[in-house]
Amino acid sequence: MMASSQPREWTGLQQFPVATQNALHALLEKLRKEDVNSLTVLVLGKGGVGKSSTVNSLVGERVAAVSAFQSETIRTVMCSRVRAGFTLNIIDTPGLVEGLFVNDHALDTIRRSLLNKTIDVMIYVDRLDGYRVDNLDRQVVRAIARSFGPQIWKIAVLGLTHAQLSPPDGISYSDFVERRSNALIEMIQKEVVFKKGDPQIPIALIENSGRCSTNSGGEKVLPDGSVWLPKLVEHIVDIATGSAEPIVIDKKLIDGPNPNKRGRVFVPLIFLFQYLFIMKPMVYLMKRDMESEVRRRPSWEVLAGQKEESPSAVEPVQTEEY
Amino acid sequence: MVSMLNPGLDLRICQRHARNAHASPAVASHGNINPLNPTSETSLGMVQKTTASKGGIKFSTPWRSSGLAAAGFMAGISGVCAMQVFSGGGNGCGGWNGGGFSGGGGGDGGFWHDILQHILLFANAEDVDRNYDSHGLKIGSPVSVTKLKTDKRYKITGVDLRDARSGTNIAPDDPFYELVTMKPGGIFTAAQFQAELDNLTNCGMFERVTMDALPQSDGTVRMQVTFAESEWQHSESVRCLNVSSLPQTKPPEVDIMSLTEVERETFMKQQESDYKERVESAKPVILPSEVEREISAWLKQEARVTARVLQRIRDQIQKWYHDQGFACAQVVNFGNLNSNEIVCEIVEGEITKLVVQFQDKMGLPCEGNTDMRIVERELPKQLQPGYIFNIEAGKKALRTINGLGLFSNIEVNPRPDEKDESGIVVEIKLKELDQKTAEVSTEWSITPGSSGWPSLSSIQPGGSVTFEHRNIHGLNRSLFGNVTSSNLLNPQDDVGFKMEYVHPYLDGVDNPRNRVLKGSCFNSRKLSPVFTGGPGFDEVPTVWVDRAGLKANITENFTRQSKFTYGLVFEEVTTRDETSAICTNGCRTLPSGAFSMDGPPTTLSGTGMDRVGFFQANITRDTTSFKNGTPVGARYIFQVDQGLCVGSKHPLFNRHQFTATHFVQLKKVEEGAKIGPPSVLVLHGRYGGCIGDLAAYDAFTLGGPYSVRGYNMGELGACRRILELAGELRLPILKTHTYGFVEYGTDLGSSKDVRGNPTEYFRRAGGGMSYGVGVKLGLIRAEYAQDCNTGSGALFVRFGERF
Repeated sequence: MMASSQPREWTGLQQFPVATQNALHALLEKLRKEDVNSLTVLVLGKGGVGKSSTVNSLVGERVAAVSAFQSETIRTVMCSRVRAGFTLNIIDTPGLVEGLFVNDHALDTIRRSLLNKTIDVMIYVDRLDGYRVDNLDRQVVRAIARSFGPQIWKIAVLGLTHAQLSPPDGISYSDFVERRSNALIEMIQKEVVFKKGDPQIPIALIENSGRCSTNSGGEKVLPDGSVWLPKLVEHIVDIATGSAEPIVIDKKLIDGPNPNKRGRVFVPLIFLFQYLFIMKPMVYLMKRDMESEVRRRPSWEVLAGQKEESPSAVEPVQTEEY
Repeated sequence: MVSMLNPGLDLRICQRHARNAHASPAVASHGNINPLNPTSETSLGMVQKTTASKGGIKFSTPWRSSGLAAAGFMAGISGVCAMQVFSGGGNGCGGWNGGGFSGGGGGDGGFWHDILQHILLFANAEDVDRNYDSHGLKIGSPVSVTKLKTDKRYKITGVDLRDARSGTNIAPDDPFYELVTMKPGGIFTAAQFQAELDNLTNCGMFERVTMDALPQSDGTVRMQVTFAESEWQHSESVRCLNVSSLPQTKPPEVDIMSLTEVERETFMKQQESDYKERVESAKPVILPSEVEREISAWLKQEARVTARVLQRIRDQIQKWYHDQGFACAQVVNFGNLNSNEIVCEIVEGEITKLVVQFQDKMGLPCEGNTDMRIVERELPKQLQPGYIFNIEAGKKALRTINGLGLFSNIEVNPRPDEKDESGIVVEIKLKELDQKTAEVSTEWSITPGSSGWPSLSSIQPGGSVTFEHRNIHGLNRSLFGNVTSSNLLNPQDDVGFKMEYVHPYLDGVDNPRNRVLKGSCFNSRKLSPVFTGGPGFDEVPTVWVDRAGLKANITENFTRQSKFTYGLVFEEVTTRDETSAICTNGCRTLPSGAFSMDGPPTTLSGTGMDRVGFFQANITRDTTSFKNGTPVGARYIFQVDQGLCVGSKHPLFNRHQFTATHFVQLKKVEEGAKIGPPSVLVLHGRYGGCIGDLAAYDAFTLGGPYSVRGYNMGELGACRRILELAGELRLPILKTHTYGFVEYGTDLGSSKDVRGNPTEYFRRAGGGMSYGVGVKLGLIRAEYAQDCNTGSGALFVRFGERF
């Protein structure tokens, strides 16, 4: 089903700038303290928003084929990397949108390929440089909730790609980021019906482009100067160590409740009800119709049968004497 | 003056009933509906009969010159209403719907008596040389008919009636002209003229009549009849009596003039008391007293009672009877003339005997195969002896017997009873259809071969074999079988078959309850609307649903349209793709061009083949009636399929649907053939649901001409529960109607409860609305429907009714 390879040594980690490596090691150390030695991250999102690139950035290797002009990922791909007894599984998925519809079928395929896996964190990827939240976004959010259960949004990180942008005139970068992320978060909260006490969905800005600005340490930085990769991993670690339960994808979740089973035991009772309260009264009414049809005879029938039925109905013959 | 109750003065319009008056039935061709014409011209009758009763007179009339006209004449004068149905022989089923009534315009039964004699006369006259002799008389001076030469044959060019009192000719449309049988252009002998004159003299309408011939210059004669109308004293009222059971009054056999004054007095007294007795022993009539009062009302205004007045009374009374359908009722006599109250003697046409007779192909009486009880139970009781014959009862009998589907020809034929002059014998003549029929038909179909062109091997012989054995044991049981294949060389590819056994009168022929047992084995192949794409998703590979199985059910009819059917069905359902290979799942083409085969499972078992047995019941309560061709009323249908844990995966389910349709009449209209239908508001609702195991082929589908118009079959979804609501307003235009409609259908969120969610898989909306307008043109509906989901509209032409 899923293209996955044997866990390999996480060599990509060494490719990161030293500062990033240190930050990541610190985070891994945190996980180790929490006794977490494996982490499964699911990356979901519409097509072409940069899911695969994000996976590549996270792992630090080119694990997924990416191309600038089309969605390359047609299957769910999991890459596993081991570093000092800790396993990181990142699952890259094909885009969820096909044409102008949510590709439920794709979503279903993803779900099936994840059978018996436990998802610790889900990264929902969208573009930062999108300007509006449309109906399709809502449908995608809903479809994800429907497929994996609304609980999946409790372990979600909202990843906004293409973060290195110059905002439109008159808006500062931080303003823009806030507006865009708030719009998406609000939409998600509305669609999935979050409760008051639920934790906010963390936002992580992502810039996968090789031309991304770097700071002196060679770390990729955003226009506001922050380093994004450790931040993203931090959010992931936070959720993994947080209170939200991971999602276990089992047979039951995939097949859903069997509608054929529902109410099956009541079938004999339902039939009894129909017999007593629908069929019997209808037959009774039809019998009554039949009787009233006999009563409502045309005039000729009444006249023809007059003599036999009621001789008194005929006027007595009057005899007059002259 | 003392009122003279003298029967000798009675006006005898008609009395003699034929001894051997076998009426010729009218003949109707299959499918035509000739409404019976019970009110054919009664007044026409009087003297023609009298002429005929004289017998032996040859005369010719222009309207019998062709055989066809003669037939029409026979029907017209037969005086007997003949009704007939011809069904298309052979496979009866198809031909029965229309039925067909034809009426010999009977009505004036009693006036036409010696019909056989009549017809023979005509037949003779037909052969007569049409030449005539010149009169050889002095032109311009009238000659009395008594003075005409007996050996000559005169041609008449015209007849004038002259009232002796006023001395003027009466208008040509005067009913008196109907008394004269001589028609312009006819050829008569002096004896015939004399007979005609005698008839006129004896008909009771006139005190005296003379007939003169006016010789014309071209050798023909013009007849001039001078008459003085009979007149009686003023009368106040009229009273109607039923004299059916009484013997006819006879003219006194003694010559009054030869009696002495005293003898005459006693004779008159005797006559008077006889008549009184007769009046008292008469039975009441069904004629309502309002008609009597109505007649009395205008009778009071008349200064004298004349023949015309009596004629008018008779016409009015007979009109009432004939309007009510009592076609054999007639006024036979007037009594108590010259008194305050005229007595009008009526024979209502009471049935004395009911005869059912089978005929062979040649129309000769024969022994029928059909059990007589089957016919008898269909006959309305109003055709039984003791009832007054009514044309509607005849029609009803025709309809119900026709409904049996056993006869190719049905005649309901009332004729005068030979034993009882006033009685009617109803004769039902039945021609049975062939009991066994078999039919083989073959056809060739040419299909394109591999190269795209038809080749020798691509010519496929196809055909069908049908057999029917009907009316087994004469109890209307029937066995029907049919096998069809479009390729006889390889028949296993595509064989359609159906075999059906129908067993009516399950509770016995004598039991009024009529339940019909039907057993059948069948197969069918249908395109599944469950596997249909939504808008913009056209490329859904088709899934065929093949069903083959056995079915046994019992139908109980309540009213004509209401029935209750229940029975068992065992069937094997196989789902196949376009290549006839069994398919297990629905599939679709992805935009990438890839073919995805993991759609909703087509069957419950998942193997592409299900076997299932279930109980099925259907109750249809239909109280609609047709008002000028459009239904008004309500119809409720409840249907349930109850799974019995029999079959693949032991399916247990309850699949039910309830449909209610109301036809609300918005405006009252008169009923009649020429009047258009009333405005009708149709309200329709349908709920369907299934609990338990539901295979995809049994899912409810939304959309289509019988669900939500404006969409394709199943375009809106396939679901576990549905709700459909529709409203249609029908407005009459001319004899048809236009309509506007709104329809809505929803899956009630139950699409996800069908395994594999075919609604979502094929991207359907799961619900939708449509509205539109249309016009009904006969059987065809042309409508424009707007689809509210995509906002587009389209024009549709459909057959039959939506509701």
